[in-house]
Amino acid sequence: MTPLARLLQPAGSCRPRLRRFADDLGLTIIVCAWFAVLITLVNGKTYQLYDQMVYSIAIGVIALAILDGVRLTVLNDPARRRRWLLPFAVLLVATAPFAHFCGIVIGSLILGNPIPDLSSYPSRGDKGMILFALLAIALMALMILNRERVERIKLERGEARARAETIERQALQAQLRLLQAQIEPHMLFNTLANLQGLIAIDPQQASRMLDHLIQYLRATLSATRAETTTLAQEFEAAEAYLGLMAIRMGARLSYRCTLPPDLRGARLPAMLLQPLVENAIIHGLEPKIDGGTVTVEASARAGLLDICVSDTGLGLPETPAPAKGSGVGVTTTRERLHVLYGARAALTLLPAQPHGVLARLTLPLETA
Amino acid sequence: MNPTPPIRALIAEDEPILAATLAATLRRVWPDLEIAGTAPNGVAAVQQALDLRPDILFLDIKMPGQTGLEAAQELAERWDGPRPFPQVVFVTAYDDYAVQAFEQAAVDYVMKPVGDARLARTVERLQARLAPAAAPDGGLAQLVEQMRALLPPAAPAAERLTVIRAAVGNTVRMIPVEDVAYFQALDKYVNVAAGSGDALIRLSLKDLLPQLDPDQFRQISRGAIVNLRCVTSATRDEAGKLTLHLRDRPDLLRVSPLFAHLFRQM
Repeated sequence: MTPLARLLQPAGSCRPRLRRFADDLGLTIIVCAWFAVLITLVNGKTYQLYDQMVYSIAIGVIALAILDGVRLTVLNDPARRRRWLLPFAVLLVATAPFAHFCGIVIGSLILGNPIPDLSSYPSRGDKGMILFALLAIALMALMILNRERVERIKLERGEARARAETIERQALQAQLRLLQAQIEPHMLFNTLANLQGLIAIDPQQASRMLDHLIQYLRATLSATRAETTTLAQEFEAAEAYLGLMAIRMGARLSYRCTLPPDLRGARLPAMLLQPLVENAIIHGLEPKIDGGTVTVEASARAGLLDICVSDTGLGLPETPAPAKGSGVGVTTTRERLHVLYGARAALTLLPAQPHGVLARLTLPLETA
Repeated sequence: MNPTPPIRALIAEDEPILAATLAATLRRVWPDLEIAGTAPNGVAAVQQALDLRPDILFLDIKMPGQTGLEAAQELAERWDGPRPFPQVVFVTAYDDYAVQAFEQAAVDYVMKPVGDARLARTVERLQARLAPAAAPDGGLAQLVEQMRALLPPAAPAAERLTVIRAAVGNTVRMIPVEDVAYFQALDKYVNVAAGSGDALIRLSLKDLLPQLDPDQFRQISRGAIVNLRCVTSATRDEAGKLTLHLRDRPDLLRVSPLFAHLFRQM
């Protein structure tokens, strides 16, 4: 077991001690009843079955109370267990005659039989029964210990599996997030080329563009680390990107972002909105001669958050084989939504009127 | 008084700032160059090139309408008249594939952002090629070489088509591929010209090409794929344009300069 796993394991054991004792008690009573049946079958006195059962269970319960009591209190700490192995074995041997005598006393009280005298104990017949009780108690102890060991192994295995699943899911989420936070080199170099040109032509506009670029890069890079962000931050990143593209594309691009003030604090996974905005530009408006408009809107309804990105661009491709890039962005977004929310979130792509694409992102509304 | 007319350039670039920047850089490193115009997309680039007949064409690769590569190809097919085909310089920001192809083609390309020093080297090359002593019509020959390296290599053999299924009214006609004389692009469709009659299929030439046997079917222009077994002869007119004659069909097919090498004598 790794140190990490040891840390993650709950202290002591999985279940409360009383509960464990109750489980052991149940097992003991069942086993004692079987021993009673065995004894009556061996000595042939089947009419004594009820008496035998009462004695047997009384002995078993007393032995259990002593041994399991010690085990669950003193020996509950795994570190002590090894050192106490020998004293425990001694205690077990000593318990046998004690439990046998007390069991017979209590059994006699219950059944109304004469209580045996301590001075005449142990009689000859008792010695065999004490040995038998010792064997039975040792057997019981082994059964209980073994059962707990099996349970512990099962539990550890289940925990390990759950941990592996968690790690796997986190890795997948991180991978998908990274995939979405990638900066396309073409976009970056074209932007830098624009900046270089603007510095000579229009330094003020260059400074504005640099502001947008810094904001865009900050949002994209921080998304590779943070898992969630606020809608306000996502909108700022989208506006930075659109501002950048509007300078680059000139009159060909106009855009509008609408975020209701009460949704500014809504939490959502990082870099979920950005790829949709980038798709609208890269696949919708950049390849279109006349360009067009991108609209980003957020709204809430019945515990759900709706984010719509629409463009007046070229529209969805007629052939199902998507152009390079568009499929990846949409598929990755859908995978992320599935990993994070299961069936509670969706991304739908619809043809917009009169032309273009409407991408609608629906996810549970979470406010901080 | 200038004894020779000025050398003129056309810039095709969709991003206005980049177009202005390239023009400004050119003015710095080549003050005598006249910038005849700037085209904002691939379609306008071809039209303006045909109208302005520049000596040099700076073509951005990624443009709306059509790419710089497609524009060059179309221009090569439509270029006519006495003026030599322009020298083409491709411009790109970042594109793994294109950059690799450019490096293989020993012709010029520039990367954005274009620095003065880099552009000055390009200008030197252009000036050498445009010098009166240079071979006439080097532009087109050079473009053909350049484009051949740039055009995507034949796609790995896709599943070969044996029969073309073309809907004609309510029935689907099954046309064996070897019966097809040529495929011609018509807007969103492809016309299948077969011995048994023509039919339309809804598939682009680009998607169709890899599914055809390259020994039998060859692309001859942006808009046509011909069955080589149906070609009887190729004639060259005074302007150097190549036309194909087909067996049992009156149709004539124009061959783009880019593919003229397929029909050169042995």
